[in-house]
Amino acid sequence: MRRKVKDAYQVLVIGGGHAGVEAAVAAAVIGCSTVLITPSITRISLMSCNPAIGGIAKGTLVREIDGLGGVAAESADHTALQFRMLNMKKGPAVWGPRVQSDVEEYCLTQREKLRTAGVHIIQGMVVKLVGPNSRIEGVLLSNGRVINAEAFVLATGTFLNGMLHRGKDTWPGGRRGDNSAIALEKDLKQRMFHVKRFKTGTSPRVVRNSIDNSLLEKQVSHDVKFRFSWSTKSGIENRETCWLTRTTGETERIVKENLRQSPLYSGRISGKGPRYCPSFEDKVTKFPDRKGHPIHLEPMGKSSRIMYLNGLSTSLPQAIQEKIVRSLPGFKNAVITAYGYSVEYSCFETGEFDGALKLRDSENLYVSGQILGTSGYEEAAATGLLAGASAARKTLGMRRVVPERISSYLGVMVNDLVTKGTEEPYRLFSSRSENRLNLRQDNADRRVYSLGCALGTLSDEKKKAYGKRERKYIFLRKEISGRRLQGKSVEEICRRPEVSPDDIAGIIGFSPQDINEKEILNSVVLDIKYAGYVKRAEKRHRIRKRYGMVSLSVIDDYDAVQTITIEAREALNRRRPETLSDAEAIPAVRQADMDALVLHLMSGSVSRET
Amino acid sequence: MEQQSDLIAALATPEAVSAISLVRLSGKGASATVEKLMKLKPGRLTGRKRVVGDLAGIDYLVAISWPCGKSYTGEEMVDLMCHGSPGTARRILEELERNGARLAVAGEFTRRAWMNGRLTSLDVLTLYAKYKEETGAGAGVRSDLSSELSELTSEIEGLIEFSEDHEVSEEEQIAFLLKRTLSRTQALAIKVKSAEVLPRVFLMGPVNAGKSTLFNKLYGEETVLVSSIPGTTRDGATRTISISGRNVEISDSPGSGGETLDGKALELAVGSLKNSDRIVWMDPLCASPSVALSGSRQILTVCSLSDRRETEVIEGWLPVSSITGQGIEKVIEFITATEIESPSWRLERMADLLQEAIFASESQDIALAAEIVSEILREAEEPERCGEAVERALERFCVGK
Repeated sequence: MRRKVKDAYQVLVIGGGHAGVEAAVAAAVIGCSTVLITPSITRISLMSCNPAIGGIAKGTLVREIDGLGGVAAESADHTALQFRMLNMKKGPAVWGPRVQSDVEEYCLTQREKLRTAGVHIIQGMVVKLVGPNSRIEGVLLSNGRVINAEAFVLATGTFLNGMLHRGKDTWPGGRRGDNSAIALEKDLKQRMFHVKRFKTGTSPRVVRNSIDNSLLEKQVSHDVKFRFSWSTKSGIENRETCWLTRTTGETERIVKENLRQSPLYSGRISGKGPRYCPSFEDKVTKFPDRKGHPIHLEPMGKSSRIMYLNGLSTSLPQAIQEKIVRSLPGFKNAVITAYGYSVEYSCFETGEFDGALKLRDSENLYVSGQILGTSGYEEAAATGLLAGASAARKTLGMRRVVPERISSYLGVMVNDLVTKGTEEPYRLFSSRSENRLNLRQDNADRRVYSLGCALGTLSDEKKKAYGKRERKYIFLRKEISGRRLQGKSVEEICRRPEVSPDDIAGIIGFSPQDINEKEILNSVVLDIKYAGYVKRAEKRHRIRKRYGMVSLSVIDDYDAVQTITIEAREALNRRRPETLSDAEAIPAVRQADMDALVLHLMSGSVSRET
Repeated sequence: MEQQSDLIAALATPEAVSAISLVRLSGKGASATVEKLMKLKPGRLTGRKRVVGDLAGIDYLVAISWPCGKSYTGEEMVDLMCHGSPGTARRILEELERNGARLAVAGEFTRRAWMNGRLTSLDVLTLYAKYKEETGAGAGVRSDLSSELSELTSEIEGLIEFSEDHEVSEEEQIAFLLKRTLSRTQALAIKVKSAEVLPRVFLMGPVNAGKSTLFNKLYGEETVLVSSIPGTTRDGATRTISISGRNVEISDSPGSGGETLDGKALELAVGSLKNSDRIVWMDPLCASPSVALSGSRQILTVCSLSDRRETEVIEGWLPVSSITGQGIEKVIEFITATEIESPSWRLERMADLLQEAIFASESQDIALAAEIVSEILREAEEPERCGEAVERALERFCVGK
């Protein structure tokens, strides 16, 4: 069925990447007529970098998206080729579910999700926003058409004045094969929004048949079945194989000899790159003595003839990339189908947006994904969901909802981006949370359920399914707390580090019927195991929150606060935090400075001065 | 306010003839005061500067200044390096006093450093151990535990977040590092323990109330002559005992004949009581001495010799018998359950937590180990958590540190 496109909507989403799709679906589920504008309808939710979803903390975030009613988790399950649970030996709190995905299938599935949610899709390039900053009225497309809406979500990824670099070549583009949104960036700058430049990069792709597998290491999968979405009934089966190889000393030598030809090192790229997802040039420069960097060979799809070289992100000239790839064991005759490149793009400065991801200068313009300064599909999708929901809620006159950092990685990320800011593309890590033992993948739905209800992004069907799991949880919790074994309570036994959920299942005589039940049991046991730590983390959070309610607006100039350190004073004068807790989040502000600020506020010197 | 509190001064080197002596000055106006005394232009000794010159006609010396936030104490600070005759240093101090400085008390500079966040509690405890180490032996304990723990944290985080990259340590490496930190902490705890003043427990009460019997019971051997003839314990005895892993100095004070005298003794004892000190007041007749016993959590009132007769349990009095063992556990609980926050106890608690972290890492829960390590770091940073331990350590510092 083809829907007729209208000229006015309640929510309009600019960009059809991982953020844009979640934003549009969330807005539609809340009940807004929603339109998504993308330059390329066939490339919706394209994985422009590595063909995988999840990872440490990122995988947990994908499960939070599912718990909030988003679509990424279901699509990832549906299109998975191979699964791996990372960090199996490092504790259940940091287990990281990750799948290899079929890139094309993923695009199709995500487009289907948009259709199911009733989102209209327009293929086109937005060149300009229409109306004053305070209240945007519509967007102008390159074909001259204007689409009006009540709220807007920017989800432009790397397209905002995107510049691609490889060797000495530089050309405008949002990613390989797509145009750059140059006009829109110009418009945003003219509207006095502060933007900065970030960069990221990607690896070359090779033809599968041109690789000699016998020289590669086959990647082993663990025997843990999982899926991202609670709606997916079974664990994911392996449909494809990944391979591992390592760079030889030769690879590093080639890169070192040609470093001057890299736009990263010749000074052509000024944008800041992600420190934790570095280009291969960075790896060789930062660890000059290290040999044998791991390179993962990942299929772009089921029986796809193209393989992605994860770990070899580079923007060296084509001829050099050719040499680098062929220096890898098994790659002597490798045929490259697409070369790696860097992309430099504009994103918003910290301080331009608030906790609901609304631009501060506007009433109805929201941002999500990479233009917030994030990196990664998962981060983009989660912020997209929040921005879409916020925009829809604004349109419908509902109250603003901000996620809390104590209960979700989404909350951690949004809080970090709003208060601390980021000087390089922001990637989620488990250590970014102060409550890591609770922010686990097994209990993601329980942690975000109340947030999902508050946002309004959960369908009745999902709520019902959750209720069923919740009842099971309570039942198992009672089973455990009521029981004793050899004079000890079973709860006490749970707390021993060496005791696993399986042991507890044995003690209480519970045999899980399916993957859901097994997971609920895990959650119950782990919740008991870590209860003491989580309680303390929550207490610290409450104290910080009280700081959050203390406004610093009465302080005009931090030079008037006599007892703070110079570093703190400079940082405070520059950043102008709203509340005490925002001040605390600034790295230069130490505990002693916080005490001094509290004393200053209490001393009354403020009221005398004003 | 702590960060720029009043000006203090002290001689930081021994009061003896030496090549040089060092007079240290910290607090509001440190630079200005010395600038005035050395007849320097205002600002000449402000910030990170060094000036050689005459100070008030007393001595030709070197003055080194640090700005607020960059010095040892975190305040404005000036070090005066003068000629090493005790008279010179004394006259400089007198001159400084005349110009608004106050003589510092023991450990005051370090206290300011701690209060201003320049040193963590762990740093203070490590310093404390360093000063107690007269021979310089056991260099292994001199490592800075705070930075060692921070390093450990980044190793663990690397292992958790970047295991794919093979550029980080392995699980075994973490266990090794945890164990190394544990043994250093334990060594430091032992060192600190041998130097510190222990919490004291006084057994008090009328003559023949059974104090010595209880003392022996707690000490575990007959070290005090016990008899039932009133007044046997004449001199009192003091022993160090270890209860539930904590060292406590336990004193058996001689009983006296009359209630009034006991009351006086108790009053005196209560007056000199430190935070961590405890009194066990024993009386078979449950007769309170004249001073109010109630209300203080530092005093336990015991109805002793409970095996001798059917004692009515009077509210607030604990029936105890050293013969049958009745109530003994409660007494031990009282002695140990109190927050005896000695520096070594703080370190021992750290060691216990490290042991837990090692156990967690061995049970393949590195994330839990990381949480425990950050708990240790947090406790070390929160003044209210280990304040008493640090206070006790600071009491034992020398003047000028």
